[in-house]
Amino acid sequence: MSSDLSLIPTPKSSLGAGRIVLRSCGSDAVLSEMSSSYPLKLLSPKIYGNNVAVVYILSYGGGLVGGDQTTLAVEVRDQTRLVLLSQGSTKVFKTRPALRLSLPSVEISSAITVQRMEVVVASASALFLLPDPVTCFRSAKYHQLQTFRLEEDASIVILDWITSGRRSLGEDWVFSRYYSLNEVLVGDERVAKDVMLLEEPQIQVQALPHRPLRDRLAPYSCYAMVIMYGPLVRSTIQQLSTRYKEISVFKRSSPPDLLWSLSTIRDGKGCVLRVAALETEAVKVWLSGSLSGLGDVLGADVYRKAFV
Amino acid sequence: MDSDHEAYILLLLSDGNLPTGAFVASSGLESYVTHGFFGTDSSTSQPKSKISAMTDFIRDSLAAYARSALPFVYDAHKLTEEFLSYGMDVGDEKGADIASVEADFIALDTLYEAMTLNDVVRRASKAQGVALLTLFSKGFSKPSSLQGFIEDLDVTRREELATQLVDRLKLQVRRGRILGHLPSCWGVLTAALGLSAERSQSLHLFLHARNLLSSSVRLNTLGPYAAQQLLLHVVHPLVNIEMQNCRHLRSGYFSTTSATTELQPHDDFDESLHGPANTWPLGEILAARHDLQHSRIFNS
Repeated sequence: MSSDLSLIPTPKSSLGAGRIVLRSCGSDAVLSEMSSSYPLKLLSPKIYGNNVAVVYILSYGGGLVGGDQTTLAVEVRDQTRLVLLSQGSTKVFKTRPALRLSLPSVEISSAITVQRMEVVVASASALFLLPDPVTCFRSAKYHQLQTFRLEEDASIVILDWITSGRRSLGEDWVFSRYYSLNEVLVGDERVAKDVMLLEEPQIQVQALPHRPLRDRLAPYSCYAMVIMYGPLVRSTIQQLSTRYKEISVFKRSSPPDLLWSLSTIRDGKGCVLRVAALETEAVKVWLSGSLSGLGDVLGADVYRKAFV
Repeated sequence: MDSDHEAYILLLLSDGNLPTGAFVASSGLESYVTHGFFGTDSSTSQPKSKISAMTDFIRDSLAAYARSALPFVYDAHKLTEEFLSYGMDVGDEKGADIASVEADFIALDTLYEAMTLNDVVRRASKAQGVALLTLFSKGFSKPSSLQGFIEDLDVTRREELATQLVDRLKLQVRRGRILGHLPSCWGVLTAALGLSAERSQSLHLFLHARNLLSSSVRLNTLGPYAAQQLLLHVVHPLVNIEMQNCRHLRSGYFSTTSATTELQPHDDFDESLHGPANTWPLGEILAARHDLQHSRIFNS
């Protein structure tokens, strides 16, 4: 489907494909390939030097609908550093909002929105995937499948986070299904496979009161997961580890406003962070501060763009 | 395996005194209590009764554990069961096959490690898994003084193969080639003892829930009578529901051998619908923070 020129979104769900290849030319990172098709859109503001490039992943019309499928292939080569960002949160609708009035939504209402990303990071190169959180609206179904293949000495930062919905409309974990898979392979070895599934209970327990998804995730309205791996992020991992081990929890009478945890991958070559907080903004502030060591790797200007 | 035998094995395995290390694991409950989640209703901030607080914790914990561990229990059980029945059919030494079962077990167990991104949970899972293998060798093998008395050649052959397999897995644990996670070792143990896959899975869930209740009594968040009430009226329907939700799930590990082709993910295996997953990010964070507690009585 190539409807790039069309101003009006197509009524059907769409299959979009994109491709990014980053290489080095002298001391500059050069996007030797960058292409995308509806509803996926890629945008690279400018080259930042220092072998760093920034690409924004956007979706037309500000969101995805049931049945939309996008596939993005990414290659980071020649010791370059690629920063992938989004502009605002990824919004997942049950149906495309502009069409709700004119078309019956039943045709595509049960369809799942699927976003795939296949990434290859070459030796001594690095990928920093730092998007805004995903927001699934009421009854939306979303699958995100991301695979990262690293050569030895490649580095990676994967941020994957989700909010409870449009709070202005009273949405609080009321989407139908959210499935997110992040798999990291170093050479032939699978070092991490994080699979998160959030969905309303499928079968009611007769003998017990209903327990909606919201109750399982309360009191928090934003959950984030970060996987970091490789030499370029080693000092950031060490700083966070030290900070984490210094925490001493005394018995509380009510949950804290923000919680985070750290676990190691392959004896500290990598780590998994998880963060939850009452407000999305608090998670953003926490991440921005805790990952600030990445500013040394990417340059402060680039890093600042990640958590605006 | 006849149902009398199966019922007898169930009695043995549900004994709370089995030395499996479960009594030092609270599976995140202690951390949940310390962080202030037990006493208040998180959505309304109102205080709630200990019975309903514990009910909520068991529901969330059991659902998450079932979705992430049952696929591995099933695959390990099937792997072992096929080895034992195949060995029976051939009726001679199958040195090559035991090596391929071992390779598949490693693939399965390593996948569980890669999917368990939590230092505290990994530690507890490995300790309990390895304890189960030891339990089989030391606790369920036939005493040597009785080995001359053979009733049934098939049964004897099966016992021999099971012992060979478990001894081999234990050796690889000692060599550091096998991690020995709880769900994969449970699958091997229960298949070796002749339990069906379904019995194995539901007993595994029951024991997880009962262990949470024992921990709760020890943490003094629940009395022993209340724990029994929950065991009968809450755990029973929950185990049934989670069996419905999860018994058909598979781990999606890639088997390397031909003797067990059925274990390879089929072309129509959609792991986003039929694979393991973590369903409770809050429980995950709290379980990982277990070691940060200023004082604690459990290991996990």
